[in-house]
Amino acid sequence: MYGIIDCDNCYVSCERVFRPDLEGKPVVVLSNNDGCIVARSNEAKKLGIKAGLPFFQLAQQFPDQKIAVFSSNYELYGELTARVVEIVRQEAPQYFRYSIDECFVRLDAMGDADLKQWGEALHRRVRRSVGMPVSIGIAPTKTLAKVASHFAKRHSGYRHCCYIDSDEKRRKALKLFPIEDVWGIGGRYTAKLKRYGVNTAYDFASKPKEWVRAAFGNIVVERTWAELNGIDCIADEAMAAKKSICTSRSFNGMITDLDTLRTHVSNYAARCAEKLRAQNTVASVVGVFVNTNFFRDDLPQYQQFAELTLPTPTSSAITIVKAAGDLLASIYKPGYHYKKAGVIVMGIGAASPIQLNLFDINAEQFQRLKKLDAVVDRINRLHGTETVILGSQQYATRDGNGKADVFANAIKHDFRSKNPTTRWNDIIRLK
Amino acid sequence: MSKIHIIKGEFEKSLELQLANSIKAGFPSPAEDYRHDSLDFNRDLIKHPEATFYGRVDGDSMVEAGINDGDIAIIDRSVEPEDGDVIVAFVNNEFTIKYLDLSHKADGYIELRPANANYKPIRIHDTDNFEVWGVVVWTIHNWKK
Repeated sequence: MYGIIDCDNCYVSCERVFRPDLEGKPVVVLSNNDGCIVARSNEAKKLGIKAGLPFFQLAQQFPDQKIAVFSSNYELYGELTARVVEIVRQEAPQYFRYSIDECFVRLDAMGDADLKQWGEALHRRVRRSVGMPVSIGIAPTKTLAKVASHFAKRHSGYRHCCYIDSDEKRRKALKLFPIEDVWGIGGRYTAKLKRYGVNTAYDFASKPKEWVRAAFGNIVVERTWAELNGIDCIADEAMAAKKSICTSRSFNGMITDLDTLRTHVSNYAARCAEKLRAQNTVASVVGVFVNTNFFRDDLPQYQQFAELTLPTPTSSAITIVKAAGDLLASIYKPGYHYKKAGVIVMGIGAASPIQLNLFDINAEQFQRLKKLDAVVDRINRLHGTETVILGSQQYATRDGNGKADVFANAIKHDFRSKNPTTRWNDIIRLK
Repeated sequence: MSKIHIIKGEFEKSLELQLANSIKAGFPSPAEDYRHDSLDFNRDLIKHPEATFYGRVDGDSMVEAGINDGDIAIIDRSVEPEDGDVIVAFVNNEFTIKYLDLSHKADGYIELRPANANYKPIRIHDTDNFEVWGVVVWTIHNWKK
Protein backbone atom coordinates (compact mmCIF):
# COMPACT_ATOMS: atom_id res chain seq x y z
CA MET A 1 0.00 0.00 0.00
CA TYR A 2 1.29 3.47 -0.93
CA GLY A 3 0.53 6.93 0.29
CA ILE A 4 1.34 10.32 -1.13
CA ILE A 5 1.56 13.39 1.04
CA ASP A 6 1.07 16.50 -1.01
CA CYS A 7 1.31 20.09 0.28
CA ASP A 8 -1.81 22.08 -0.69
CA ASN A 9 -0.86 25.11 -2.83
CA CYS A 10 2.59 24.69 -1.32
CA TYR A 11 4.21 28.10 -1.85
CA VAL A 12 1.06 29.99 -0.88
CA SER A 13 0.70 27.88 2.26
CA CYS A 14 4.35 28.59 3.18
CA GLU A 15 3.72 32.34 2.91
CA ARG A 16 0.61 32.04 5.06
CA VAL A 17 2.50 30.43 7.95
CA PHE A 18 3.88 33.86 8.86
CA ARG A 19 0.89 35.79 7.50
CA PRO A 20 -2.12 34.13 9.14
CA ASP A 21 -4.18 37.18 8.12
CA LEU A 22 -4.07 35.90 4.52
CA GLU A 23 -5.96 32.73 5.41
CA GLY A 24 -9.10 32.62 3.27
CA LYS A 25 -7.93 35.42 0.96
CA PRO A 26 -6.64 35.34 -2.61
CA VAL A 27 -2.85 34.92 -2.65
CA VAL A 28 -0.48 34.32 -5.58
CA VAL A 29 3.25 33.59 -5.77
CA LEU A 30 5.32 34.69 -8.76
CA SER A 31 8.03 32.81 -10.64
CA ASN A 32 11.70 33.76 -10.52
CA ASN A 33 12.15 37.32 -11.68
CA ASP A 34 8.50 38.05 -10.85
CA GLY A 35 7.57 36.92 -14.36
CA CYS A 36 4.33 35.01 -14.00
CA ILE A 37 2.08 33.33 -11.48
CA VAL A 38 3.28 29.91 -10.33
CA ALA A 39 1.13 29.28 -7.26
CA ARG A 40 -2.41 30.29 -6.33
CA SER A 41 -4.53 29.95 -3.25
CA ASN A 42 -7.95 28.31 -3.69
CA GLU A 43 -9.51 31.78 -3.46
CA ALA A 44 -7.27 33.03 -6.28
CA LYS A 45 -8.22 29.97 -8.37
CA LYS A 46 -11.89 30.72 -7.74
CA LEU A 47 -11.43 34.28 -9.03
CA GLY A 48 -10.32 32.71 -12.31
CA ILE A 49 -6.62 33.55 -12.06
CA LYS A 50 -4.82 31.05 -14.27
CA ALA A 51 -1.43 29.50 -13.54
CA GLY A 52 1.21 31.02 -15.80
CA LEU A 53 -0.56 34.37 -16.11
CA PRO A 54 2.12 37.06 -16.63
CA PHE A 55 2.25 39.24 -13.53
CA PHE A 56 1.77 42.51 -15.40
CA GLN A 57 -1.61 41.24 -16.65
CA LEU A 58 -2.88 40.50 -13.15
CA ALA A 59 -3.83 44.09 -12.33
CA GLN A 60 -5.33 44.54 -15.83
CA GLN A 61 -7.50 41.43 -15.65
CA PHE A 62 -8.54 41.71 -12.00
CA PRO A 63 -8.63 45.45 -11.39
CA ASP A 64 -10.99 45.57 -8.42
CA GLN A 65 -9.64 42.60 -6.49
CA LYS A 66 -7.42 42.64 -3.45
CA ILE A 67 -4.86 39.95 -4.20
CA ALA A 68 -1.77 39.36 -2.06
CA VAL A 69 1.30 38.93 -4.27
CA PHE A 70 4.64 37.35 -3.27
CA SER A 71 7.90 36.85 -5.13
CA SER A 72 9.05 33.27 -4.78
CA ASN A 73 11.16 32.67 -1.68
CA TYR A 74 12.71 29.21 -2.09
CA GLU A 75 14.78 29.60 1.08
CA LEU A 76 11.54 29.64 3.06
CA TYR A 77 9.77 26.95 1.00
CA GLY A 78 12.75 24.59 1.23
CA GLU A 79 12.95 24.96 5.00
CA LEU A 80 9.24 24.49 5.71
CA THR A 81 8.83 21.53 3.36
CA ALA A 82 11.88 19.86 4.97
CA ARG A 83 9.96 20.07 8.25
CA VAL A 84 6.96 18.39 6.63
CA VAL A 85 9.18 15.59 5.34
CA GLU A 86 10.74 15.18 8.80
CA ILE A 87 7.29 14.57 10.29
CA VAL A 88 6.51 12.08 7.51
CA ARG A 89 9.81 10.31 8.32
CA GLN A 90 8.71 9.97 11.93
CA GLU A 91 5.21 8.75 11.09
CA ALA A 92 5.75 6.34 8.20
CA PRO A 93 7.73 3.10 7.98
CA GLN A 94 9.30 4.10 4.66
CA TYR A 95 9.25 7.30 2.67
CA PHE A 96 10.83 8.84 -0.39
CA ARG A 97 10.63 12.45 -1.37
CA TYR A 98 9.37 12.97 -4.87
CA SER A 99 9.45 16.75 -5.27
CA ILE A 100 9.57 19.87 -3.14
CA ASP A 101 5.94 19.47 -2.15
CA GLU A 102 5.28 15.72 -2.53
CA CYS A 103 6.47 12.72 -0.59
CA PHE A 104 5.59 9.06 -1.20
CA VAL A 105 5.35 6.58 1.65
CA ARG A 106 5.18 2.79 1.70
CA LEU A 107 2.71 1.58 4.26
CA ASP A 108 2.86 -2.24 4.04
CA ALA A 109 4.67 -2.43 7.39
CA MET A 110 1.73 -0.74 9.11
CA GLY A 111 -0.10 -4.09 9.24
CA ASP A 112 -3.80 -3.69 9.86
CA ALA A 113 -3.57 -0.17 11.26
CA ASP A 114 -6.48 2.02 10.18
CA LEU A 115 -4.74 3.91 7.39
CA LYS A 116 -7.57 6.39 6.93
CA GLN A 117 -7.23 7.39 10.59
CA TRP A 118 -3.45 7.46 10.23
CA GLY A 119 -3.70 9.86 7.27
CA GLU A 120 -6.11 12.18 9.04
CA ALA A 121 -3.85 12.28 12.10
CA LEU A 122 -0.81 12.99 9.92
CA HIS A 123 -2.66 15.90 8.32
CA ARG A 124 -3.49 17.31 11.77
CA ARG A 125 0.06 16.95 13.03
CA VAL A 126 1.64 18.66 10.00
CA ARG A 127 -0.96 21.42 10.05
CA ARG A 128 -0.44 22.04 13.75
CA SER A 129 3.37 21.73 13.84
CA VAL A 130 4.40 23.45 10.62
CA GLY A 131 1.22 25.31 9.64
CA MET A 132 1.16 23.49 6.30
CA PRO A 133 -2.06 21.94 5.00
CA VAL A 134 -1.37 18.59 3.30
CA SER A 135 -3.58 16.14 1.43
CA ILE A 136 -3.01 12.42 1.66
CA GLY A 137 -3.95 9.78 -0.88
CA ILE A 138 -3.61 6.08 -0.06
CA ALA A 139 -3.98 3.24 -2.58
CA PRO A 140 -2.37 -0.02 -3.79
CA THR A 141 -0.23 1.78 -6.42
CA LYS A 142 1.52 5.13 -6.63
CA THR A 143 -0.60 6.26 -9.58
CA LEU A 144 -3.84 5.42 -7.73
CA ALA A 145 -2.50 7.17 -4.62
CA LYS A 146 -2.08 10.31 -6.73
CA VAL A 147 -5.68 9.94 -7.88
CA ALA A 148 -6.79 9.58 -4.26
CA SER A 149 -4.87 12.69 -3.19
CA HIS A 150 -6.76 14.74 -5.80
CA PHE A 151 -10.04 13.68 -4.18
CA ALA A 152 -8.67 14.43 -0.71
CA LYS A 153 -7.76 17.92 -1.91
CA ARG A 154 -11.03 18.75 -3.62
CA HIS A 155 -13.68 17.40 -1.29
CA SER A 156 -13.63 18.44 2.34
CA GLY A 157 -15.69 15.37 3.23
CA TYR A 158 -12.54 13.26 3.06
CA ARG A 159 -10.99 15.26 5.91
CA HIS A 160 -7.73 15.59 3.89
CA CYS A 161 -7.22 11.84 3.43
CA CYS A 162 -8.72 9.63 0.72
CA TYR A 163 -8.12 5.88 0.91
CA ILE A 164 -8.89 3.69 -2.09
CA ASP A 165 -9.18 0.36 -0.26
CA SER A 166 -11.54 -1.63 -2.47
CA ASP A 167 -12.01 -2.33 -6.16
CA GLU A 168 -15.41 -0.72 -6.00
CA LYS A 169 -13.87 2.54 -4.72
CA ARG A 170 -11.16 2.33 -7.36
CA ARG A 171 -13.70 2.09 -10.19
CA LYS A 172 -15.82 4.87 -8.73
CA ALA A 173 -12.83 7.18 -8.38
CA LEU A 174 -11.50 6.49 -11.88
CA LYS A 175 -14.91 7.14 -13.46
CA LEU A 176 -14.88 10.64 -11.99
CA PHE A 177 -11.26 11.31 -12.88
CA PRO A 178 -10.36 13.21 -16.09
CA ILE A 179 -7.69 11.42 -18.13
CA GLU A 180 -5.54 14.57 -18.42
CA ASP A 181 -5.07 14.67 -14.63
CA VAL A 182 -3.64 11.15 -14.43
CA TRP A 183 -0.02 11.06 -13.23
CA GLY A 184 2.28 10.26 -16.15
CA ILE A 185 -0.30 11.05 -18.84
CA GLY A 186 -0.15 14.83 -18.98
CA GLY A 187 -0.59 16.90 -22.12
CA ARG A 188 1.54 14.63 -24.26
CA TYR A 189 -0.84 11.69 -24.49
CA THR A 190 -4.16 13.36 -23.62
CA ALA A 191 -4.97 14.58 -27.12
CA LYS A 192 -4.35 11.14 -28.63
CA LEU A 193 -6.36 9.35 -25.94
CA LYS A 194 -9.29 11.71 -26.40
CA ARG A 195 -9.31 10.99 -30.11
CA TYR A 196 -9.90 7.36 -29.14
CA GLY A 197 -12.80 8.43 -26.94
CA VAL A 198 -10.86 8.03 -23.71
CA ASN A 199 -12.01 10.85 -21.44
CA THR A 200 -11.70 9.44 -17.94
CA ALA A 201 -9.11 7.36 -16.15
CA TYR A 202 -11.71 4.58 -16.12
CA ASP A 203 -12.07 4.63 -19.93
CA PHE A 204 -8.31 4.16 -20.16
CA ALA A 205 -8.02 1.47 -17.49
CA SER A 206 -10.84 -0.52 -19.18
CA LYS A 207 -8.96 -0.81 -22.48
CA PRO A 208 -7.26 -4.15 -23.10
CA LYS A 209 -3.52 -4.21 -22.57
CA GLU A 210 -2.96 -5.12 -26.24
CA TRP A 211 -4.78 -1.97 -27.30
CA VAL A 212 -2.58 0.20 -25.10
CA ARG A 213 0.55 -1.46 -26.48
CA ALA A 214 -0.55 -1.14 -30.09
CA ALA A 215 -1.73 2.46 -29.78
CA PHE A 216 1.28 3.80 -27.86
CA GLY A 217 4.12 1.26 -27.83
CA ASN A 218 5.39 3.18 -24.83
CA ILE A 219 6.44 1.61 -21.54
CA VAL A 220 5.49 4.67 -19.46
CA VAL A 221 1.92 4.69 -20.77
CA GLU A 222 1.68 0.93 -20.30
CA ARG A 223 2.86 1.16 -16.70
CA THR A 224 0.37 3.91 -15.98
CA TRP A 225 -2.39 1.70 -17.39
CA ALA A 226 -1.29 -1.20 -15.19
CA GLU A 227 -1.05 1.00 -12.09
CA LEU A 228 -4.58 2.31 -12.66
CA ASN A 229 -5.66 -1.34 -12.66
CA GLY A 230 -4.05 -1.86 -9.28
CA ILE A 231 -0.80 -3.49 -10.48
CA ASP A 232 2.15 -1.96 -8.65
CA CYS A 233 4.93 -1.45 -11.22
CA ILE A 234 6.63 1.94 -10.83
CA ALA A 235 9.84 1.27 -8.89
CA ASP A 236 10.71 3.33 -5.83
CA GLU A 237 14.25 3.77 -7.11
CA ALA A 238 12.92 5.41 -10.24
CA MET A 239 11.90 8.33 -8.09
CA ALA A 240 14.25 8.28 -5.13
CA ALA A 241 17.49 9.67 -6.51
CA LYS A 242 17.44 12.38 -9.13
CA LYS A 243 19.31 11.30 -12.22
CA SER A 244 20.36 14.81 -13.13
CA ILE A 245 20.22 18.27 -11.67
CA CYS A 246 19.58 21.26 -13.88
CA THR A 247 19.76 24.92 -12.96
CA SER A 248 18.70 27.31 -15.69
CA ARG A 249 17.03 30.67 -16.10
CA SER A 250 15.68 32.95 -18.75
CA PHE A 251 17.39 36.32 -18.49
CA ASN A 252 15.57 39.53 -17.73
CA GLY A 253 16.64 41.02 -21.03
CA MET A 254 18.99 39.54 -23.60
CA ILE A 255 22.74 39.09 -23.19
CA THR A 256 25.37 39.44 -25.89
CA ASP A 257 28.74 39.38 -24.10
CA LEU A 258 30.61 36.36 -22.79
CA ASP A 259 31.50 37.90 -19.41
CA THR A 260 27.91 38.46 -18.35
CA LEU A 261 26.93 35.02 -19.62
CA ARG A 262 29.80 33.52 -17.67
CA THR A 263 28.57 35.16 -14.47
CA HIS A 264 25.15 33.57 -14.92
CA VAL A 265 26.54 30.17 -15.85
CA SER A 266 28.95 30.25 -12.88
CA ASN A 267 26.01 30.82 -10.55
CA TYR A 268 23.98 28.00 -12.06
CA ALA A 269 27.01 25.72 -11.74
CA ALA A 270 27.55 26.72 -8.12
CA ARG A 271 23.87 26.07 -7.44
CA CYS A 272 24.16 22.59 -8.98
CA ALA A 273 27.21 21.85 -6.81
CA GLU A 274 25.32 23.01 -3.74
CA LYS A 275 22.37 20.75 -4.59
CA LEU A 276 24.75 17.81 -5.06
CA ARG A 277 26.30 18.43 -1.64
CA ALA A 278 22.91 18.86 -0.02
CA GLN A 279 21.90 15.35 -1.09
CA ASN A 280 25.38 13.98 -0.42
CA THR A 281 26.09 13.04 -4.02
CA VAL A 282 28.70 13.75 -6.66
CA ALA A 283 28.39 14.16 -10.42
CA SER A 284 30.68 12.91 -13.17
CA VAL A 285 29.32 14.88 -16.14
CA VAL A 286 28.79 18.63 -16.50
CA GLY A 287 26.78 20.10 -19.35
CA VAL A 288 26.06 23.69 -20.38
CA PHE A 289 23.47 25.01 -22.82
CA VAL A 290 22.65 28.42 -24.23
CA ASN A 291 19.94 29.61 -26.52
CA THR A 292 18.69 32.80 -28.13
CA ASN A 293 15.14 34.15 -27.95
CA PHE A 294 13.00 31.90 -30.15
CA PHE A 295 10.16 34.39 -30.12
CA ARG A 296 12.26 36.99 -31.90
CA ASP A 297 12.17 35.89 -35.55
CA ASP A 298 13.78 39.22 -36.42
CA LEU A 299 17.04 38.13 -34.73
CA PRO A 300 19.48 35.41 -35.77
CA GLN A 301 18.88 32.18 -33.80
CA TYR A 302 21.42 29.92 -32.13
CA GLN A 303 21.37 27.13 -29.59
CA GLN A 304 24.09 24.82 -28.40
CA PHE A 305 24.85 22.25 -25.75
CA ALA A 306 28.20 20.83 -24.69
CA GLU A 307 29.22 18.44 -21.96
CA LEU A 308 32.38 17.02 -20.50
CA THR A 309 33.20 14.15 -18.19
CA LEU A 310 35.15 15.10 -15.09
CA PRO A 311 38.28 13.09 -14.26
CA THR A 312 36.84 12.45 -10.78
CA PRO A 313 33.18 12.68 -9.77
CA THR A 314 32.80 15.75 -7.59
CA SER A 315 30.47 18.17 -5.87
CA SER A 316 33.13 20.86 -5.59
CA ALA A 317 31.84 24.29 -6.63
CA ILE A 318 35.26 25.37 -7.90
CA THR A 319 35.66 22.33 -10.16
CA ILE A 320 32.11 22.42 -11.53
CA VAL A 321 32.13 26.20 -12.04
CA LYS A 322 35.43 25.95 -13.89
CA ALA A 323 34.17 23.12 -16.10
CA ALA A 324 30.99 25.06 -16.88
CA GLY A 325 33.01 28.17 -17.73
CA ASP A 326 35.21 26.21 -20.15
CA LEU A 327 32.16 24.61 -21.76
CA LEU A 328 30.46 27.99 -22.15
CA ALA A 329 33.56 29.46 -23.82
CA SER A 330 33.54 26.53 -26.26
CA ILE A 331 29.94 27.05 -27.37
CA TYR A 332 29.67 30.84 -27.12
CA LYS A 333 29.44 32.67 -30.42
CA PRO A 334 29.50 36.45 -30.58
CA GLY A 335 26.82 38.34 -32.49
CA TYR A 336 23.81 36.61 -30.92
CA HIS A 337 21.31 37.83 -28.34
CA TYR A 338 21.17 35.11 -25.68
CA LYS A 339 17.96 34.64 -23.72
CA LYS A 340 18.62 31.56 -21.63
CA ALA A 341 21.45 29.45 -20.27
CA GLY A 342 21.64 26.46 -17.99
CA VAL A 343 23.95 23.98 -16.32
CA ILE A 344 23.16 20.27 -15.99
CA VAL A 345 25.10 17.82 -13.87
CA MET A 346 24.65 14.11 -14.60
CA GLY A 347 26.07 10.74 -13.72
CA ILE A 348 25.12 11.29 -10.12
CA GLY A 349 26.25 8.85 -7.47
CA ALA A 350 26.73 8.62 -3.73
CA ALA A 351 29.41 10.97 -2.38
CA SER A 352 31.66 8.40 -0.79
CA PRO A 353 33.71 6.47 -1.34
CA ILE A 354 34.84 8.28 -4.45
CA GLN A 355 37.38 6.52 -6.51
CA LEU A 356 40.19 8.92 -7.14
CA ASN A 357 41.05 8.74 -10.79
CA LEU A 358 44.65 7.83 -11.50
CA PHE A 359 44.96 10.68 -13.96
CA ASP A 360 43.58 13.18 -11.50
CA ILE A 361 46.40 12.46 -9.13
CA ASN A 362 46.19 15.44 -6.86
CA ALA A 363 44.42 13.78 -3.96
CA GLU A 364 45.63 16.43 -1.55
CA GLN A 365 44.10 19.18 -3.65
CA PHE A 366 40.88 17.17 -3.83
CA GLN A 367 40.67 16.94 -0.05
CA ARG A 368 41.39 20.66 0.27
CA LEU A 369 38.56 21.53 -2.12
CA LYS A 370 36.24 19.29 -0.17
CA LYS A 371 37.10 21.07 3.07
CA LEU A 372 36.71 24.48 1.46
CA ASP A 373 33.26 23.61 0.15
CA ALA A 374 32.19 22.37 3.56
CA VAL A 375 33.29 25.66 5.15
CA VAL A 376 31.55 27.74 2.47
CA ASP A 377 28.34 25.74 2.87
CA ARG A 378 28.46 26.20 6.61
CA ILE A 379 29.01 29.96 6.42
CA ASN A 380 26.19 30.34 3.90
CA ARG A 381 23.90 28.26 6.04
CA LEU A 382 24.59 30.26 9.18
CA HIS A 383 24.69 33.74 7.66
CA GLY A 384 22.34 33.40 4.73
CA THR A 385 22.69 32.24 1.15
CA GLU A 386 25.58 33.74 -0.82
CA THR A 387 27.50 35.28 2.06
CA VAL A 388 30.55 33.66 0.47
CA ILE A 389 30.62 33.12 -3.30
CA LEU A 390 33.23 32.55 -5.98
CA GLY A 391 34.55 35.65 -7.76
CA SER A 392 33.08 34.52 -11.07
CA GLN A 393 29.63 34.40 -9.47
CA GLN A 394 29.59 38.16 -8.87
CA TYR A 395 26.93 40.04 -10.74
CA ALA A 396 26.76 43.60 -11.87
CA THR A 397 24.17 45.42 -9.78
CA ARG A 398 20.73 45.84 -11.26
CA ASP A 399 21.38 49.52 -11.95
CA GLY A 400 24.58 48.48 -13.73
CA ASN A 401 26.93 50.20 -11.28
CA GLY A 402 29.87 48.13 -10.14
CA LYS A 403 30.26 44.42 -9.80
CA ALA A 404 29.66 43.60 -6.19
CA ASP A 405 26.24 42.15 -6.14
CA VAL A 406 24.98 38.61 -5.71
CA PHE A 407 22.64 36.41 -7.69
CA ALA A 408 19.72 36.98 -5.34
CA ASN A 409 19.86 40.73 -6.00
CA ALA A 410 20.42 40.45 -9.71
CA ILE A 411 17.02 38.86 -10.20
CA LYS A 412 13.81 40.68 -9.54
CA HIS A 413 11.98 39.87 -6.33
CA ASP A 414 10.08 42.99 -5.39
CA PHE A 415 7.56 41.18 -3.19
CA ARG A 416 9.73 38.65 -1.42
CA SER A 417 8.79 37.72 2.14
CA LYS A 418 11.27 37.42 5.00
CA ASN A 419 13.07 34.25 6.09
CA PRO A 420 11.97 33.79 9.68
CA THR A 421 13.26 30.21 9.88
CA THR A 422 16.75 30.75 8.46
CA ARG A 423 17.89 34.28 9.44
CA TRP A 424 18.04 35.82 12.90
CA ASN A 425 17.26 39.28 11.54
CA ASP A 426 14.03 37.97 10.04
CA ILE A 427 12.53 36.15 13.01
CA ILE A 428 8.98 37.25 13.84
CA ARG A 429 8.47 40.26 16.14
CA LEU A 430 6.31 39.61 19.19
CA LYS A 431 4.42 42.61 20.56
CA MET B 1 21.65 34.02 49.13
CA SER B 2 21.06 32.42 45.82
CA LYS B 3 23.28 29.73 44.51
CA ILE B 4 24.49 29.20 41.01
CA HIS B 5 25.20 25.73 39.83
CA ILE B 6 27.76 25.51 37.11
CA ILE B 7 26.92 22.83 34.62
CA LYS B 8 28.90 21.69 31.65
CA GLY B 9 27.18 22.44 28.40
CA GLU B 10 27.93 22.10 24.78
CA PHE B 11 26.89 24.87 22.44
CA GLU B 12 28.77 24.15 19.29
CA LYS B 13 26.44 21.76 17.61
CA SER B 14 24.05 23.21 15.13
CA LEU B 15 20.48 22.07 14.95
CA GLU B 16 19.75 20.37 11.70
CA LEU B 17 16.71 18.62 10.42
CA GLN B 18 17.21 15.17 9.01
CA LEU B 19 17.33 15.82 5.32
CA ALA B 20 15.21 13.60 3.23
CA ASN B 21 16.82 12.54 0.02
CA SER B 22 16.56 8.82 -0.36
CA ILE B 23 14.72 5.77 0.79
CA LYS B 24 15.16 5.25 4.51
CA ALA B 25 13.57 3.12 7.13
CA GLY B 26 11.02 5.11 9.07
CA PHE B 27 10.12 5.55 12.75
CA PRO B 28 13.15 6.31 14.99
CA SER B 29 16.26 7.97 13.63
CA PRO B 30 19.17 5.54 13.91
CA ALA B 31 21.50 8.53 14.45
CA GLU B 32 19.89 9.17 17.84
CA ASP B 33 21.74 6.22 19.39
CA TYR B 34 25.14 7.62 18.52
CA ARG B 35 24.82 11.14 19.85
CA HIS B 36 27.19 11.70 22.72
CA ASP B 37 25.99 12.64 26.14
CA SER B 38 27.12 16.25 26.70
CA LEU B 39 24.34 18.63 27.54
CA ASP B 40 23.08 20.24 24.41
CA PHE B 41 20.51 23.02 24.35
CA ASN B 42 19.40 22.10 20.86
CA ARG B 43 18.69 18.57 21.92
CA ASP B 44 17.49 19.14 25.48
CA LEU B 45 15.46 22.35 25.19
CA ILE B 46 14.03 21.91 21.73
CA LYS B 47 11.90 18.79 21.86
CA HIS B 48 10.22 19.21 18.47
CA PRO B 49 12.67 20.85 16.01
CA GLU B 50 10.24 20.43 13.12
CA ALA B 51 7.63 22.47 15.02
CA THR B 52 9.95 25.05 16.61
CA PHE B 53 10.13 28.69 15.54
CA TYR B 54 11.83 31.73 17.04
CA GLY B 55 10.52 35.19 17.79
CA ARG B 56 12.05 38.45 19.05
CA VAL B 57 10.17 40.20 21.86
CA ASP B 58 9.28 43.74 20.86
CA GLY B 59 8.16 45.91 23.79
CA ASP B 60 7.52 45.53 27.51
CA SER B 61 4.01 44.05 27.69
CA MET B 62 5.33 40.90 29.43
CA VAL B 63 8.04 42.52 31.52
CA GLU B 64 6.59 41.42 34.88
CA ALA B 65 6.75 37.82 33.69
CA GLY B 66 10.48 38.28 33.18
CA ILE B 67 10.13 38.56 29.43
CA ASN B 68 11.99 41.65 28.24
CA ASP B 69 12.27 43.71 25.12
CA GLY B 70 14.77 42.02 22.77
CA ASP B 71 14.52 38.56 24.30
CA ILE B 72 14.35 35.56 22.00
CA ALA B 73 11.29 33.36 22.44
CA ILE B 74 11.44 29.68 21.51
CA ILE B 75 8.01 28.75 20.20
CA ASP B 76 6.78 25.17 19.87
CA ARG B 77 3.72 24.85 17.66
CA SER B 78 3.17 21.18 18.38
CA VAL B 79 2.29 21.42 22.09
CA GLU B 80 -1.32 21.87 23.10
CA PRO B 81 -1.85 25.35 24.63
CA GLU B 82 -3.17 25.23 28.18
CA ASP B 83 -4.57 27.78 30.59
CA GLY B 84 -1.75 29.96 31.96
CA ASP B 85 0.74 29.19 29.18
CA VAL B 86 2.72 31.98 27.55
CA ILE B 87 1.63 31.86 23.94
CA VAL B 88 2.07 33.60 20.60
CA ALA B 89 -1.06 34.61 18.70
CA PHE B 90 -1.75 36.67 15.62
CA VAL B 91 -4.13 39.48 16.60
CA ASN B 92 -4.87 42.76 14.78
CA ASN B 93 -2.31 42.01 12.10
CA GLU B 94 0.61 41.38 14.41
CA PHE B 95 2.13 38.58 16.42
CA THR B 96 1.68 39.08 20.13
CA ILE B 97 3.16 37.30 23.16
CA LYS B 98 0.80 37.01 26.17
CA TYR B 99 -0.50 34.74 28.89
CA LEU B 100 -3.37 32.54 27.73
CA ASP B 101 -6.35 32.82 30.10
CA LEU B 102 -9.01 30.21 29.45
CA SER B 103 -10.86 30.71 32.75
CA HIS B 104 -13.78 32.54 31.08
CA LYS B 105 -14.29 30.05 28.29
CA ALA B 106 -17.68 29.03 29.74
CA ASP B 107 -18.74 32.70 29.51
CA GLY B 108 -17.98 32.72 25.79
CA TYR B 109 -14.63 34.47 25.69
CA ILE B 110 -10.94 33.97 26.39
CA GLU B 111 -8.28 36.52 27.27
CA LEU B 112 -4.70 37.18 26.28
CA ARG B 113 -3.23 38.76 29.40
CA PRO B 114 -0.16 41.01 29.47
CA ALA B 115 2.25 41.02 32.41
CA ASN B 116 2.40 44.79 32.73
CA ALA B 117 -0.19 47.03 34.44
CA ASN B 118 0.10 49.58 31.61
CA TYR B 119 -1.47 47.18 29.13
CA LYS B 120 -5.02 45.87 28.92
CA PRO B 121 -5.92 42.24 28.33
CA ILE B 122 -7.05 41.35 24.81
CA ARG B 123 -10.50 39.77 24.95
CA ILE B 124 -11.43 37.33 22.21
CA HIS B 125 -15.11 36.56 21.78
CA ASP B 126 -15.14 34.73 18.49
CA THR B 127 -13.06 31.80 19.67
CA ASP B 128 -14.10 29.77 16.61
CA ASN B 129 -11.70 31.61 14.33
CA PHE B 130 -9.03 32.27 16.92
CA GLU B 131 -5.93 30.15 16.86
CA VAL B 132 -2.96 30.06 19.16
CA TRP B 133 0.00 30.26 16.77
CA GLY B 134 2.39 28.52 19.14
CA VAL B 135 3.34 27.98 22.77
CA VAL B 136 6.41 29.76 24.18
CA VAL B 137 8.54 27.08 25.83
CA TRP B 138 11.65 29.14 26.64
CA THR B 139 12.86 32.72 26.42
CA ILE B 140 16.50 33.74 26.16
CA HIS B 141 17.77 37.00 27.60
CA ASN B 142 21.15 38.40 26.78
CA TRP B 143 22.97 39.80 29.84
CA LYS B 144 26.52 40.42 28.64
CA LYS B 145 26.21 43.15 26.04
